[in-house]
Amino acid sequence: MFFALLAKDLRRARHNPIPWLTNLAIPLCITALIGLAFGSSQSSGLGHIKFAVVDEDHSVLGKMLQSMTGQGTNAQKLEPVFMDRTNALAAINNNEISAVLIIPEHFTKHYLTATEPVSLELIKNPAESVNPAVLEELLGAGVTGLSAVSRNFHEEFSTLQSAFDGDGDFDQMATVLKQTGEKLKSAKASILPPLVSYTETETEIKPVPAKNGGVAKTGNQFSLFGYLLLGMSAMFLLFLAGHGMSDLHRELRNGTFARYHTLNQQLLPFIASKVAFTLVMLLAGSVIMLGGGALIFRFHWPHPLSLAVLMFSYAAFAACLMALLTALVADERRANMMNNLAGMLLGMAGGCTFPAEQLPVFVQNYFTHWMPSYWFVNTARELEFGSEPVVWWGMALKLGLAGLVCALAATYVFRRKFRNGLTA
Amino acid sequence: MSLLTVESLRKSFGTLGAVNGVTFQVQPGEIYGLLGPNGAGKTTTISMISGLLKPDAGTVKIGGTAFWADPQRARRQMGVVPQELALYEELSGKENLEFWGRLAGLGPREAKARAAELLESLELSDRANDPVKTYSGGMKRRINLGCALLHRPQLLLLDEPTVGIDPQARMNILEFIQKLRAAGTAILYTTHYLEEAESLCQRIGIIDGGRILAEGTLSQLQERLGGDRLFVIDADFTNTVPENWGAFLQRFRIIQKSERQIIAAAIGTRDPSECLKDLLELPVRVENVSLKRPSLNDVFLQLTGRNLRE
Repeated sequence: MFFALLAKDLRRARHNPIPWLTNLAIPLCITALIGLAFGSSQSSGLGHIKFAVVDEDHSVLGKMLQSMTGQGTNAQKLEPVFMDRTNALAAINNNEISAVLIIPEHFTKHYLTATEPVSLELIKNPAESVNPAVLEELLGAGVTGLSAVSRNFHEEFSTLQSAFDGDGDFDQMATVLKQTGEKLKSAKASILPPLVSYTETETEIKPVPAKNGGVAKTGNQFSLFGYLLLGMSAMFLLFLAGHGMSDLHRELRNGTFARYHTLNQQLLPFIASKVAFTLVMLLAGSVIMLGGGALIFRFHWPHPLSLAVLMFSYAAFAACLMALLTALVADERRANMMNNLAGMLLGMAGGCTFPAEQLPVFVQNYFTHWMPSYWFVNTARELEFGSEPVVWWGMALKLGLAGLVCALAATYVFRRKFRNGLTA
Repeated sequence: MSLLTVESLRKSFGTLGAVNGVTFQVQPGEIYGLLGPNGAGKTTTISMISGLLKPDAGTVKIGGTAFWADPQRARRQMGVVPQELALYEELSGKENLEFWGRLAGLGPREAKARAAELLESLELSDRANDPVKTYSGGMKRRINLGCALLHRPQLLLLDEPTVGIDPQARMNILEFIQKLRAAGTAILYTTHYLEEAESLCQRIGIIDGGRILAEGTLSQLQERLGGDRLFVIDADFTNTVPENWGAFLQRFRIIQKSERQIIAAAIGTRDPSECLKDLLELPVRVENVSLKRPSLNDVFLQLTGRNLRE
């Protein structure tokens, strides 16, 4: 009978797929939103920074800058494109680049002769926050370097300027190069070797089995994207469960639930089938959010199987909880409001939207630890990003049991209501 | 033995007594009509018989066994057709029938075969695979009826199964119900349509205010009014009262009285011409006197003082 009931609901969804597709499109949007905002942890956060360089000076210095940005590690991080001012401003307006660096006319001449202060112009893309700020910092470092060079090699610059202008002779150039070499040689003792340095090391992290059967952590790489996605998924599944379980109200309104009861004394198979139907929807949503998100944004869940089991238990709990709320609140509109409210409360107090540690102490002490949403989110985050052993299966069992209690309570409430004259 | 026995059934919702001691029986191969206006307690009675509502007092026996002694067995002996269309509109008629057949305990093949059989009987085979939402009102009503018949119930509870459909569709359904009765199914039929109760039911219980006011065959109910005829007297009764008309009230029972009309039944077995003579001698200016067969509405009128359709 359970399978006949479930098959009926799936068949109904097949005949009328729009609500289903809408429900599955929303998690896709949420994942895309979080992914686009926070990206993947494994792509080193920023990716390429594309910016325009407008060289109105057409000088050797500009060409040096061009060649510098395209070399070494710079080439991995920076993506300069060289264009004129008009095209560069059009590109920034079209949100194609993060910033425009303008080397003004006579920049080299003024810099080398030091006749007047010179400045580079940086136009930042107001639609972006991180990349323009990074470029500004880099440019700050760059101009500090240029100033330092100017102060130390002021004497040599006039000769260099003559050479750039085509007026210098080889004797003068040789003298300048010799002087520069001596200055650099004397500076070497002050600069090298640096007094403070750091070394970059790469080690492979392997999970170590814990004594209690859980997974001992050796510190998985933290991902803001994954961290947020788990919380948002937990909260969204509650809303989705409320929406799925509203079908129970439709069954009441259409009299099909009552008709079922005229044939069968037990109400649990009906509730269980509706939970299973909602669970299918929730699992599809979870796969889209956690699986699809990982695929699209090239993110890797360190413990996918454990996370899947944990997610299954949580989804089952969410469906059962919403079944209970539906049973308790007979009025459909009021029940929808209650379900949304419960989803928000569980989500916020359970640490789905904000980290639980940032919630008010009173909420943390008296509410958060009792929230099944917290059980799931906290365990999943610890499992994926934490450094302590996590007994995830214990929490999965706890969530499953909580769901079972909710389903049984929902059945009991419906039975009582039917006996007392339940109307939709 | 009665297939359905209802004894002193009571149900209250708060202070409102919806059903107040209803008692009746339904025999195999009989259509028992529960006739009453909206709010009379018909649906509440059916809900208690079908186990949806638990009675405050009284018993329901199905085939001699109390319902609550073995509710699952009792449920499988009956088919319930609710007043509202309890169907899945996204599914086809065939899918609906098969689904309710599975829930009634049939195997997948059996449910399929029985659904095809019922679609044929209900003359819906050509629309079997169309979604129910595309059906006409009458077709939906037929499928609604069919969904209760998959497991061949011995007792069928029909709660106003013809509400809101056209006369032709109603006729089809009534013919189908007659066939079920002929096949030996016991049927409890609630309605507020007099014509349906008169033409369909072997016995009728008139219910109002949660009580059965009268019960019997159509002729037995008509007998309560004094035979098979009623006198309709048209006159100006504004300034006169029947109590002042001599022996009128010893010879006639007033069924309904208004300023322009009195409907009365003769007491005892008297010749119609004698009755007519008595009426023409009344101390009022009689404009017209006519005879009519008493209807269930007249019985209801006599029992409650108001029309069934009010």
